[in-house]
Amino acid sequence: MKQDPLAFREAAHKAMDDPRLKLALGRIKSHFQLGRGFAATHYPDFERLRDRGADIRAHALANLDTLLGTFERSVIARGGHVHWARDAKEAREIVLGILNESGARTVTKGKSMVTEEIALNPFLEANGIVPIETDLGEYIIQLRDEPPSHIIAPAFHLNKEDVADAFRAAHTSLDPARNLDERTTLVLEARQMLREKFEAADAGITGANFLAAQEGAAVIVTNEGNGDLTRLLPRTHIVVTGIEKVVPDLSDVAVLLRLLTRSATGQAITSYVSVMTGPRAAGETDGPEHFHVVLVDNGRTRLMGTDAEDTLRCIRCSACLNHCPIYAAVGGHAYGATYPGPIGAALNPNLLGLAAAHHHPNASTFCGRCAEVCPVKIPLPKIMRYWRAREVAAGLAPASARFGLGLWAFAAKRPALYRFGARMATRLLKRLAGKRGAVKALPLMGGWFAVRDLPAPQGKTFQEMWAEKK
Amino acid sequence: MSARDDILGAIRSCRRSAAVRPAAYDPPANGGDAVERFSALATRAAAEVRVLDSEADIPAAVAEVLRARNMPARVHVPDGSTLKGADWTVACEPTPPGPDDAAVTRAPFGIAETGTLAYPSARAEPASWHFRPGLEIAVLKADDILPHMENVLARVKANGMPATLNFVTGPSRTGDIEQTLELGAHGPKALAILVVRA
Repeated sequence: MKQDPLAFREAAHKAMDDPRLKLALGRIKSHFQLGRGFAATHYPDFERLRDRGADIRAHALANLDTLLGTFERSVIARGGHVHWARDAKEAREIVLGILNESGARTVTKGKSMVTEEIALNPFLEANGIVPIETDLGEYIIQLRDEPPSHIIAPAFHLNKEDVADAFRAAHTSLDPARNLDERTTLVLEARQMLREKFEAADAGITGANFLAAQEGAAVIVTNEGNGDLTRLLPRTHIVVTGIEKVVPDLSDVAVLLRLLTRSATGQAITSYVSVMTGPRAAGETDGPEHFHVVLVDNGRTRLMGTDAEDTLRCIRCSACLNHCPIYAAVGGHAYGATYPGPIGAALNPNLLGLAAAHHHPNASTFCGRCAEVCPVKIPLPKIMRYWRAREVAAGLAPASARFGLGLWAFAAKRPALYRFGARMATRLLKRLAGKRGAVKALPLMGGWFAVRDLPAPQGKTFQEMWAEKK
Repeated sequence: MSARDDILGAIRSCRRSAAVRPAAYDPPANGGDAVERFSALATRAAAEVRVLDSEADIPAAVAEVLRARNMPARVHVPDGSTLKGADWTVACEPTPPGPDDAAVTRAPFGIAETGTLAYPSARAEPASWHFRPGLEIAVLKADDILPHMENVLARVKANGMPATLNFVTGPSRTGDIEQTLELGAHGPKALAILVVRA
């Protein structure tokens, strides 16, 4: 499935007309918003925890070069390898190089947004390596040849019948007439099919939720345990992650974990939190023999020192998506990018380029809920405004918007003209509204008026009334 | 220029804020008895918790856990585990457990804040055993239940970081189909914890 962020508008309209998607999106409130709300209220001091989380991430970013250096030394000291990738292409080639060197043909994968971001799977396939996604949601969308539609729930847009269809088509060794009506049956079938893959894989690739510099540790957070089987059973384990994930040590991770799981699924902790520091130690009977960490920049350093830098604090919990009215209406695929929702609107103009992703910062009502729930207090609306300003400066905003804003700016800078214009507009709208008190239509605004009326001003302008009061 | 130098150079060339490292976080006190809190939270995470008076009660408790679940009277115990020497009334296998088998493991630490088990990997404590079996039966001494993850990290680091440190809270689960919770995605379908008081 091709991703096209420039087609956001059309894709959003199509998404809103899709009744099956609407059914799936209806689960956001009951499953994510309530869970996060409950978890935040029941933690004794969630606001202090958020402040601490934001401070930890801000401090880590301010010392990123030192921390990455420490992390690298710690990993090497424990027998692992660290690789640096400037961009997606370099990252893909590094991973392929490691796999080729170890003679790997099949690779199991834990859930990783960075490997989505660098489009690793199609590249590996083109080079004769079979990547198998093992997170249930990722596995389902891999079978359907789709990108994830949500950061922590990749198959969020699907219903169980879609999953049953995908399994029937893919698991051809099983009885075609088997009953797949129940979610439990589907989960057990995936468990059975994927266990064979875990046992047979030559290498495992996971992401990292956090890196701890002092211990040289990559930390992953899962509920299924797939990430651990991906790490522990094959001979080679490769961690692919962004350079911004590093914090000073595991005590910082312990704080961020409390925020991450509560903000994501409403859990106090996930079933599994795994701290992975290197290859198996002497005498150990399992764990990888080779441990690699690929540190990916891919545009992250471009954000540093800009007014959008706070975006790099993100711990990918999805709370901003789950509380965004736009995401709730159109889902993740409409964005045509790896990262949807408010965090996508903040990341994509940098990651994909402003020309490709300039619609995303406009996909917002600026209600501000994303910033209210962000566990590390990223000022998302402020960052979207930052991109909107650059969109206008770059001449990418639609001509009608630029014309309208230009007209308004011209008047706003001339108070006498503005007052006159406002007076005229007020009188005109009142006249148009007539006895109804509401305007039913205006030229060029059919879309806006299709579902609502505009309550018309009923008398004088605010400035006129203010002047009279004095 | 290498990619490493380029990336570190790009970071260094930016305007940097002089953020100071925040003081160590002091988690809110758990309150109440550690064993009770641990048991309540592990149970909430869908684990089964049994509190035993002594290590001698372990074999009978394991047999009972298997019987209650209609599972064969057989467990997998890793070679070198101190549990190997228990007076087992069920068959005891040293091989890695399969997806429907039961494994008995010793958890060196518990966390009262979240009802979590902590397992540093070691020769006699293979990390994959927390993910391979259908049922994991964990043995945990009551005295090893510490208040917070931070306390466990300090203890583990004092002994030297292991290759893998696993924190386990309840059995494996997924919400990936219709955001509805199902247990036993890839890891154990069930987790039983035997908390030993003495």
